[in-house]
Amino acid sequence: MAVETFVDFVSVRLPQLWLRTGEHLILTGVSTGAAIMLGIPLGVLASRVARLRGFLLGAIGILQTIPSLAMLAILLALTGKIGAVPAIIALALYALLPIVRNTVTGIQGVSSAALEAARGLGMTNHQQLWQVKIPLALPFIVAGIRTAAVTGVGIATLSAFIGAGGLGQFINRGLALASNSLILLGAIPAALLALVVDFSIGAVGWGLEPRRHRHLPQRLRILFRTSAFLLPFFIGVAGAIAYMSGAAVTPVSRPGSTIADQDRGAKVVIGSKNFTEQLILGELMAQLIEGRTGLSVVRRFNLGGTMICHGAIVRAEIDIYPEYTGTALTAILKREALLDPDETFKVVARAYRKQFGIEWLQSFGFNNTYAITVRKEDARLHGWERISDLTESAANLRAGFTSEFAERPDGYPGLRKVYGFRFGEVRDFDPTLMYEALAKGEVDVICAFATDGRITAYKLKPLSDDRGFFPPYYAAPVVREEVLKAHPEIRDALTPLLGLLDDLTMQGLNYEVDGKKRSPRHIARGFLKSHNLLHGD
Amino acid sequence: MIRLIKISKSFDGGRSYAVKELSLDVAEGKTLVLLGSSGCGKTTTLKMINRLIEPTSGTIEVDGQDVTSQDPVLLRRKIGYVFQEIGLFPHMTIEQNVAIVPKLLGWDKNRRRVRAHEFLELMGLDPGIFADRYQDELSGGQQQRVGVARALAADPDYLLMDEPFGALDALTRDTLQQELLSLKGRLRKTIIFVTHDILEAITLGDEIAILHNGNLEQIGTKEEVLSSPKTEFVAELFSKPAKQLAVFKEMR
Repeated sequence: MAVETFVDFVSVRLPQLWLRTGEHLILTGVSTGAAIMLGIPLGVLASRVARLRGFLLGAIGILQTIPSLAMLAILLALTGKIGAVPAIIALALYALLPIVRNTVTGIQGVSSAALEAARGLGMTNHQQLWQVKIPLALPFIVAGIRTAAVTGVGIATLSAFIGAGGLGQFINRGLALASNSLILLGAIPAALLALVVDFSIGAVGWGLEPRRHRHLPQRLRILFRTSAFLLPFFIGVAGAIAYMSGAAVTPVSRPGSTIADQDRGAKVVIGSKNFTEQLILGELMAQLIEGRTGLSVVRRFNLGGTMICHGAIVRAEIDIYPEYTGTALTAILKREALLDPDETFKVVARAYRKQFGIEWLQSFGFNNTYAITVRKEDARLHGWERISDLTESAANLRAGFTSEFAERPDGYPGLRKVYGFRFGEVRDFDPTLMYEALAKGEVDVICAFATDGRITAYKLKPLSDDRGFFPPYYAAPVVREEVLKAHPEIRDALTPLLGLLDDLTMQGLNYEVDGKKRSPRHIARGFLKSHNLLHGD
Repeated sequence: MIRLIKISKSFDGGRSYAVKELSLDVAEGKTLVLLGSSGCGKTTTLKMINRLIEPTSGTIEVDGQDVTSQDPVLLRRKIGYVFQEIGLFPHMTIEQNVAIVPKLLGWDKNRRRVRAHEFLELMGLDPGIFADRYQDELSGGQQQRVGVARALAADPDYLLMDEPFGALDALTRDTLQQELLSLKGRLRKTIIFVTHDILEAITLGDEIAILHNGNLEQIGTKEEVLSSPKTEFVAELFSKPAKQLAVFKEMR
């Protein structure tokens, strides 16, 4: 991409960039702050009580070994919320280890001579702690806080998976849309932010150690020290201003913000999973509701998977999202897959109304079933047309599946049973990377989505499901009944879209985004206009 | 006046004693040297006086008052202490180190500063040069001068010194001993000084108490212990340096 176009690319997204940077700073700042307030006392306590020390450091160490995404998922389940709260808790838990450990190390490193002197000269325990132990441990404690904060800036990019916003949102969408520019738009500011945060905490550490600035002339010393202490404060304020200015300029319908969206007046919250088709469907619904009702829409797109979306709608944190009948039946309701599309829809719709108070609107019209997919040239070479054709060579094939597919009963485990073969090697991929891996020859078979634009873009060949294993996956909006009752206009607004998207149409829209790198928002707008579903503007 | 009455200390529940039934008095303004080899219980004895270590049995009186009836923190603030390892605080300037006990006692900043400078000067350190330095910028001898200044800064009546010059080279040690002697005359503190160095004991002590395996072998003026040793151990102890001295004289 040429330089000017990248500049344009960034300048268009500038308000959003401010907003996300602000969110990112808030996530990191609040979590690190909490970890400091909890971690230093814990460290002091652990340095005093030997028995507690092993236990505490062990427990916090175990927390650290939990992979970030798993931690986020666990906290999502525990707090029952998506967004900033579980993200901040997760970040704070990660920040705890370096802070506690460095506090302990620092205090234990205080020389026995200094400690004996402190006692022998008549310091109380409290004075020994505040006048000797903590000042001497300070460089260690500050180093721990620096580690914690810088790591925090990094891990905070992952919190976008659970809808907590931050710069990770650009990275996520970049991954979902295979857009390097978007990934960089998140990654570069995050890296810069890490440097700024590191520098500012280092500056505070400098200010706290008189010895390090005693050679400065009096006036400079006062100036530098004051600025060192105020630096994190200024950065915090700058973050808040960035956040507010970004939030003010970005349209009400800005994608999945979180910290801001706590109040839900006449708003409807639309969610989506983290792949192109879901983003387009989310946009289509959002723009219809914005254009045809008086409601404002909050977009909480890019949530990390089926269970997170489902959890969010059950807890009323989102009101609408696009779901697939087969997924609902097998992954959420945990029932056997059915082959008949209408029956599947009926069963699912009935169960959702009963169990969750959620209504399935009519289908969008396409069936995004899984398609076992290979490279076109391989298919030609080996004469592969149907999944059964793979039986003989399966043991020598490398498969790349989404993590969901690898585990779901209507995914690989079921496929193995029905077709009676297993692939030589199975690797888990992010949906976006999976297609690329196949195109680049890193794997030989993937579980594509039938409507995915990349099937055409990457010259891939979906094999036919000759034993009828994959159940139908018709996509439809699922909506909370409460919301439909309160705002029946939502149904009216969405109805014209339902049934309009057949397999090929959807594949075409997906290709516009995946192949031609257009934004889902743009594509959705174009589609709705060309079908006269949007008035004015 | 400091009085120890039948002080015993066991660290292992009575199987062995670091100090056993030790009784001694230190008169107002006098210097008592506790002399003995390492492990004889002299440092333990010293630390029991300001309650860094609590005795297993016996009573210690300072100013006629049982120390166990006093708050250990307040007790320590009125007894100067010079540590074997010096123990200056590395994060504080020399001035702050000297002024630490006045600070604990709640003196105001100005008074602390004046006092710190006064005692730095008393110990032969120019405050203009040393006040704003840090301990690791000083030589060992300078550091222990600060250590002594710190112990004296709040003007305590008592001074406990735990092998303060043990780690210094012979020349520096000698200088500091002489300075302590002259200081003693001027300040009139009651001092208990722990050492394993016989010459140091003879130089500094008004009285010398010889400890061996936790027992008091003899206590008396230096003339008494030199001329009429009460036990074989004491006789043996003082005969060695006398022999060395004789050899040294012959060589010249």
